[in-house]
Amino acid sequence: MRDLKTVIAFTIKDMAKRKSFIISTLIILALIVIGINIPNIMKAITGDNENAGETNILIVDSTNLFEGTLPSINQMNLGYNVQVANNEVSFEDIKGRIENKDIDQAMIIEQKEDGTYKLRYIVENMTQVAMVPEDLMNTINTLYTNLQISKLGLTPEQIASLSPNFEFTIEQTEEQEVSGNLFVIMMLSIVLFYAIYFCAYQVSSSITTEKTSKIMETLVTSTSPRTIVLGKTIGIGIVGLIQICVIVGVALISAKAFLDPELLNSVLDMSMMTPYLAIMTIVYFILGYFAYALLYALTGSTVSKPEDIQSANTPVAILAVVGFYLSYFTMMNPTSELNQFAAIFPISSPFCMPFRIMMGIASTSEIILSIVVLVITILIIAQVAIKIYSNAILNYGTKMTFKDIVKVYRDKNN
Amino acid sequence: MGLKLENVSKKFVGKQAVDNISFEVDKPGVFGLLGTNGAGKTTTIRMLLGIIKKDTGEITWNGKKVERKSVNFGYLPEERGVYPKTKIYDQLMYFAKLKGMNPKDADAAIKKWAKVLKVEEYIPMPAEKLSKGNQQKIQFMTAIIHDPELVVLDEPFSGLDPVNTEILKNVIIDLVKMGKYIIMSSHQMASIEEFCTDILILNKGKTVLKGNLKEIKEGYRANRLELSTDKNIDEYIKEFNMEIEFSKNNEYSIKIDSEEKAHQLLEKLVTDHIEVDKFEIEKPTLNDIFIEKVGE
Repeated sequence: MRDLKTVIAFTIKDMAKRKSFIISTLIILALIVIGINIPNIMKAITGDNENAGETNILIVDSTNLFEGTLPSINQMNLGYNVQVANNEVSFEDIKGRIENKDIDQAMIIEQKEDGTYKLRYIVENMTQVAMVPEDLMNTINTLYTNLQISKLGLTPEQIASLSPNFEFTIEQTEEQEVSGNLFVIMMLSIVLFYAIYFCAYQVSSSITTEKTSKIMETLVTSTSPRTIVLGKTIGIGIVGLIQICVIVGVALISAKAFLDPELLNSVLDMSMMTPYLAIMTIVYFILGYFAYALLYALTGSTVSKPEDIQSANTPVAILAVVGFYLSYFTMMNPTSELNQFAAIFPISSPFCMPFRIMMGIASTSEIILSIVVLVITILIIAQVAIKIYSNAILNYGTKMTFKDIVKVYRDKNN
Repeated sequence: MGLKLENVSKKFVGKQAVDNISFEVDKPGVFGLLGTNGAGKTTTIRMLLGIIKKDTGEITWNGKKVERKSVNFGYLPEERGVYPKTKIYDQLMYFAKLKGMNPKDADAAIKKWAKVLKVEEYIPMPAEKLSKGNQQKIQFMTAIIHDPELVVLDEPFSGLDPVNTEILKNVIIDLVKMGKYIIMSSHQMASIEEFCTDILILNKGKTVLKGNLKEIKEGYRANRLELSTDKNIDEYIKEFNMEIEFSKNNEYSIKIDSEEKAHQLLEKLVTDHIEVDKFEIEKPTLNDIFIEKVGE
């Protein structure tokens, strides 16, 4: 136990002190803060005046088709600052005003020969605005309709009856209720996958480094292989967990501090983030990390050269990707049997079960079964990985094949 | 008491790495474990350190079975290794703790051995900044920092310059004076002859020679004459049917069948008024014995 603590402490210190680790963490944190602040940065660049973010648009209504109602668009908070010209304005004049940044866009209302109207939308560059904004089209159509209706001499009740105010709701026939924002669930699923995958990968790379630096022989005469594998796995896991907590914490704090609350709530419904969900996510991170880290300890111990590590780790990477996609795609239909299977199958359950819990569709028995299966799998992997590691770490020859690994495992004298 | 290996064997897939070897290191001193590359030295060392399991036989230390959990030997492996990015102090402290030392004792031991091995200035540096020789001294510190009773040194002098070799030799002499048991494996026969009282030579996993080095050498007849004269004596050597092994500037190393024949040659040279500056009849060196025993 004392040796295990020593290995854990050394691994944590060694990893946390690495320049590459510190720099990559700082870069990730900086990117998160910058990414969240992009709307504010854009605002700062475009200017901090009242109309910042609004599009200045000149509507040329030389025939006075809208009978002076166009300025009312400014009260609708659509993001347009409308100027109206009731005289003829040529295309060249508009071009000059756009170039001088006097206006951003313009709309010319023209009467065609057949009596109908054509609305020409003029922008500086069509790569930025490829089509006439739908909200502007709807607003102008509604404005014209209302103008014509008002001329019919209808009572306010009659006018109101022409504008239906239907309320749409959605209900399901299945008894199991699914809640949660699918976008958030999928984003967090990706974060969890990468967190588990990259932390686990560090174990493999750490073991190969010890082999290639030839320190392994000194190490295995100082403590048991079991202590080394477990200490290394726990140490790297603790650093990884702290790193993820810091990253998620900085992201949440930055989002709360810098993002518009309305925008934040529309993307991230914080009411879903219960303490129970947080605990279960951490539990699945730890269990998933252990399963994959121990597999990586096994593959890391079978190579002697850093250039072989990639190919040795490929089978584990494939397993992780299959597990992730099984979880990711079945999440589209969370009540399906395949998603239930993915939440219990040990290679996919760490990525799948936290989100079934988040969606409120995971039963307690399902969660217990999933954890039991995952723990049993970890114990089996640990037993195999430690045995292979104990013997493979002193092999400095060529990369071990699957046949060699099986032979080493079956050898009773090892 | 001490270390005892009895009928120890180890077979790897398709290869008998160590075949029924036995030896005993029953008193403090340096025991030489010799053999060509692939003779089974490293496998023997790994078994006696408890890193790998033996197939048959018994290994005991002070009468108790050697197991990975129960032994706390010091080991300088042939494959040198340090954590390149980690500070020397941190890695020495790490290994000292793993060997059961408390931080205070470990700190004192690091300071003591750093001074003895003249590496004090490198202690705060990461290992990658040290020369190979200094890295080797650091690894030597790792092997002895916890004051083990038995130390296994696999090629301790390879890659060291004469100054550092001398430093290490003095430390080994001090360890012997302190009553430590040392097993030294080396291809440098001069070092083995200098330090070892007992040796064991392995060839293809089997013991081909073992025992007290002095007694082994005494069992051999003299086989070489070292001669230095004031003029060329090639003709005399031919006359006595002797074979020149090496000659340069009238200094000769000559193979001899008997001491008597060497004396007859000397008598002849003196009679012919040839000045003889050096006349030494020598027994075979460990190098000669080694080549005789394991040379194909």
